[in-house]
Amino acid sequence: MRRRSFLPVTFLVPTLAILLVLSMVPTLYAIVIALQNRELSTPGYSWVWFSNFADLFLDRRFLNAVWVSVKWEIVTVVATMVVAIGLGVLMFEVASPRLRNIYCLLFIIPVLLPRVSAAFVWKFAYHPLYGIATYPYRLVTGGLIVDPLSKASTALFAVASVDVWQWGLFFAVIVLKLLETLPPQPIEAARLDHARRWQIHAYVTLPMLKAPLISLMFVKMIESLRSFDLIYVMTRGGPGVATETLDMYAFSQGFIESGKVSYASAMAVLMMIATVITFTMLWKRVQA
Amino acid sequence: MKSTRLAASLGAAFVLTASASTMALAQAPVCSAPVKVLAQPRDGLTLLEDSKDEFKKLSGAGFQIDYLNENDRRAKSRADASTVGNYNVYYVDEANVALFASSGWIAPLADYYPAEYDFADFDPGRQKVATYDGKVWFAPLTGGGDLMVYRKDILEAAGIQPPKTLDELLADVPKLTNADKGMYGIALRGARGSGANVWRWMPYFKAYGGKWFDGDKPAFNSDAAVKATETYLKLFKDSAPGTQTGSWDESTGAFLSGQVAILVESTPLSGMAVDPKTSQVVGKVGFLPPPAPLPGGGYGHGLAIATKANPDDASKKCAGLFVAWATSKENEKRRLDAHQFGELNRTSILSSKEFANIYGADLGQALAETGKVTAVNFWQDPRWPDLGDRWGIILEELVTGTRTDIKGSLNELEAYANELVKKK
Amino acid sequence: MRPGRLIAKAILALAGFLAVFPLVWTALNALKNNVDIITRVPRLVFTPTLANISYIIGRDSVMTGLYNSVVACGLAVLIGVVLGLPAAYAVARYPNRFAGDIQFFVLSLRFLPPVAVAIPLMVIWLQIGLYDTLPALIVTYSLLTISVIMWLAIPAFQSVPKEIEEAAFVDGYGAYSVFWRIALPVAARSLAGAIAFSFVLVWNEFLIALMLSSSNAKTLPIVASELSQQGMNVPWGILNASVVLLSLPPLLFLGVLSGFLNTVFRQKKT
Repeated sequence: MRRRSFLPVTFLVPTLAILLVLSMVPTLYAIVIALQNRELSTPGYSWVWFSNFADLFLDRRFLNAVWVSVKWEIVTVVATMVVAIGLGVLMFEVASPRLRNIYCLLFIIPVLLPRVSAAFVWKFAYHPLYGIATYPYRLVTGGLIVDPLSKASTALFAVASVDVWQWGLFFAVIVLKLLETLPPQPIEAARLDHARRWQIHAYVTLPMLKAPLISLMFVKMIESLRSFDLIYVMTRGGPGVATETLDMYAFSQGFIESGKVSYASAMAVLMMIATVITFTMLWKRVQA
Repeated sequence: MKSTRLAASLGAAFVLTASASTMALAQAPVCSAPVKVLAQPRDGLTLLEDSKDEFKKLSGAGFQIDYLNENDRRAKSRADASTVGNYNVYYVDEANVALFASSGWIAPLADYYPAEYDFADFDPGRQKVATYDGKVWFAPLTGGGDLMVYRKDILEAAGIQPPKTLDELLADVPKLTNADKGMYGIALRGARGSGANVWRWMPYFKAYGGKWFDGDKPAFNSDAAVKATETYLKLFKDSAPGTQTGSWDESTGAFLSGQVAILVESTPLSGMAVDPKTSQVVGKVGFLPPPAPLPGGGYGHGLAIATKANPDDASKKCAGLFVAWATSKENEKRRLDAHQFGELNRTSILSSKEFANIYGADLGQALAETGKVTAVNFWQDPRWPDLGDRWGIILEELVTGTRTDIKGSLNELEAYANELVKKK
Repeated sequence: MRPGRLIAKAILALAGFLAVFPLVWTALNALKNNVDIITRVPRLVFTPTLANISYIIGRDSVMTGLYNSVVACGLAVLIGVVLGLPAAYAVARYPNRFAGDIQFFVLSLRFLPPVAVAIPLMVIWLQIGLYDTLPALIVTYSLLTISVIMWLAIPAFQSVPKEIEEAAFVDGYGAYSVFWRIALPVAARSLAGAIAFSFVLVWNEFLIALMLSSSNAKTLPIVASELSQQGMNVPWGILNASVVLLSLPPLLFLGVLSGFLNTVFRQKKT
């Protein structure tokens, strides 16, 4: 029906060319820098090839950062999905259409906030003396102090809770919308078989939504890579190095501590390789 | 009509009688663009912003101060200076003046500091800290040493004499802690940073005879360093909540709100402690020099002229005028009137009658005493911020308990120092 | 069943409360004097003050940040629209062998760790002398906006009923005018959602702005974080006010974005 047209060429080529340039130039340059020994404060540099990478694997803080990043990824993805499915199902079960609309609107608000704002809001809420989130604890214990952000055992979870606050609530809305798109017949059938509510969801509706839920999880895994803003504002990687993720450590090395741009870049390159390989494989899986 | 003519003739008379220098000012303003300043929050600087118009009249342009907390200010000014250099004036301190001066990021102050602002009036101790390699680099905003500030009422109730030695301090602090009643023996700094936890730790290091270097070789994993770290960690058991990841603000805040019995901190605390505007413990506070053999940590912060953002002489002059005006006698007088004890640096102000009226003779006495034990504790070298910050992170790990191996930690630091030394 | 439902409703209500209360509390704190914030027992009743808000609005750095944010985000989104929408349309309507690869390429840009982009770009901008300028930020953000707008606009164009476009061709419209006069207007609602989303994304962006600016090109999130990192002696009310100011623009899009979500899932149903 459509006549041959140059439209795809004129519409696609410039955009793709620009995207390619904008993404490949920094990516390749990151690799180049990683093979040198550039520092911010000294203009000269030389090629050191793979010695930055070799140093990384002897660097205690780097290995710690890898572990913290993995922990962060697992904690936030799992918690987000649990919260999202839990609240989504609850809304589906007990909320009237009007209430659902109100909840949907409320649950989208946190994710719209700049991460910096969200981080600050909660940082102050977790303040040991004046925080609103630590107030119930002070009230119940008669004034005892709890400081979740400065305890190594709790800091990561305290920061992760903000991530889940933003994404878990937002995904709950999507889970609800997904549930609403399901045909009612299988649910009715299960109900006639006297299945309990939770059984219906566990064995009927959620398995039916397996594909979109996996996609959702995939999106969350990508977004969880962006933990920097929260950690930068709330803990700076502390206490000690308990919440120092890879991007936080790369930033400290590149800026805060010593301006070792090449060393930071080597780290970024490793992150890039790891994420691109992992997510490409996952994506192929999800698509298949 | 009449009034404009009057104004005009008055104006003419003024121009006629004005001195040559003010005429030059009126003809060609010193500054052509607003002075951009990168600083850390200081009450004195906030107060300065109220007099923006005065500076505008003087120079022909305004100024804009961006504030960052101490660690960030250090990192950011270093990043800015080593890259684009978009700030005209940097806030520098004792710890990074060597780095900034030797890297050529700041200009010698004397060349651009107008003589009428009387640099010699600054306290000699402050001047000394601002000097590196024989030249003065910044005009002081704050500075001093350490002072032991303690609660007379709490110590009396516990039947304890104010500790005169470190051993007495170590024995007294646990006895003074009463966590159920929200009272803690001491408050230290736990947050990372060469100017934060490392700063508070250094006096113990020095007190036990620690040295940064043995000749050319780093000597951090010495017995002195181990002992100092053990002592510091032991004292932390009785340190007020929030200080494990806190610094100056947290520990002084805890003292001023009445939760701490003894505090060894930088001298501005003493002024804050006797001022009802900032303190809830007025009248219950005593001062003494730090328990022997703890040396006081001599320090000084101030404003310096950036080189990159001020490529020519004219712009350096403008920045110099700002630095001079911001630290002028008039502005220090304003700070004294606003009871900003920590922001006073000029001999003429510190020895004025108003000062004695506000802060009393006791404090003056204690300040003079503590001046004798004030020392430079850190390694005076451009590489100090690097090394200090690295130790800061490790020390924070030790303080928050994510790490327990003191000797291993110090070995790691030594390895890092060896690398730093090798590089140069 | 009854108590179960009650508990479920209570949990939902609690979640709804948790979603907004921290924000409301922040807004309240923005109206408080410091004495009303630094209290062991949170204060709900207090004498409100506008001092914090007027301080924030009166500060040069905040106004510069606001200006930078508006210009950088606005222009980056504009570039994203101009380049992203046509490309998305071409992928959606002119299937070719590479359509799948193109879509994956666009998505894969999201896998790139922001540090991995920011570090080399910083060195590059420094070398060309554009570090700490708005153009550098705009170009960098364009990578984000183009890819996000493209990614979201492809399904939006696909959901335009094919018959309308076919009819237009029969009426003698050319390929370009079909895009302009038919596809764009019909898909406008979803496209608006996609554009709003990309705006929120770059408005909220922090790490890249932090690494690519020093003083002249600082965006509002950077200024706000600087205000919030000053330490304990800082008036908390001012910090809260700056957070409120920073958060308002994205919230303005709440309506558009929730409408966008609805249309996306209505399409899935059919």
